[in-house]
Amino acid sequence: MHDNRRQILDMLAQGKINSDEAERLIAALERSDMPVARDTSAVKYLRVLVDANDEQEGPTKVNVRVPMQLLRAGVRLTGVIPDRAREQVNEALRKEGIPFDINKLTPDNLEDMIEQLRDLSVDVDNERAKVRVFCE
Amino acid sequence: MTQEILPPLSASLHVKPAGWRFGLKLWLPLFLLWLLLIPLLILALPLLFVGSLIFRFNLWRSLRAANGVLAATRGSEVEVDKRDTSVFIKLH
Repeated sequence: MHDNRRQILDMLAQGKINSDEAERLIAALERSDMPVARDTSAVKYLRVLVDANDEQEGPTKVNVRVPMQLLRAGVRLTGVIPDRAREQVNEALRKEGIPFDINKLTPDNLEDMIEQLRDLSVDVDNERAKVRVFCE
Repeated sequence: MTQEILPPLSASLHVKPAGWRFGLKLWLPLFLLWLLLIPLLILALPLLFVGSLIFRFNLWRSLRAANGVLAATRGSEVEVDKRDTSVFIKLH
């Protein structure tokens, strides 16, 4: 940034641009360096809402809030699984046709995954129940 | 990222059973449960240590991870509303 500003001042000193143009260029430079507003709030909870209407039991509403920390703690728990058991888990997943390596589930990867969950919204709607899952 | 290290210390339980005119609001001091369980855990530590040697798992890491899962349940809420019964549980 300082190099660009220096370059503009040099151009002004050399008479290549006038003071108005220099001012405009510096203003544009400052605008381009301003941080872009981002939604940095962390995803804290997973919310599950169920609105069911059973003929026998009548209407039922369920509202569950699960902290994301539980997901993080669960992943940390996978760190204590013995290597042999991990291989067995991977093998079982492969047999089920799920190409997932449990060894790649690390707290670092998890943060990226949770970040992606920010936009997650699952809506299931049928005649008997409405289910909505989202992060907040 | 901050990580909770304490398990839920209390729970709020609101219940309104069928036929009851008013609901029941309870505050459950879960910390008393943990205070009761700590001596049991200390007594079980030798067994757990032997188990960790036999089954080759890191006892310290396992205890930390288990505590982490317990601590991570803080803030959980479950609310169920039926026709004439409702239950609300929150872990603090």
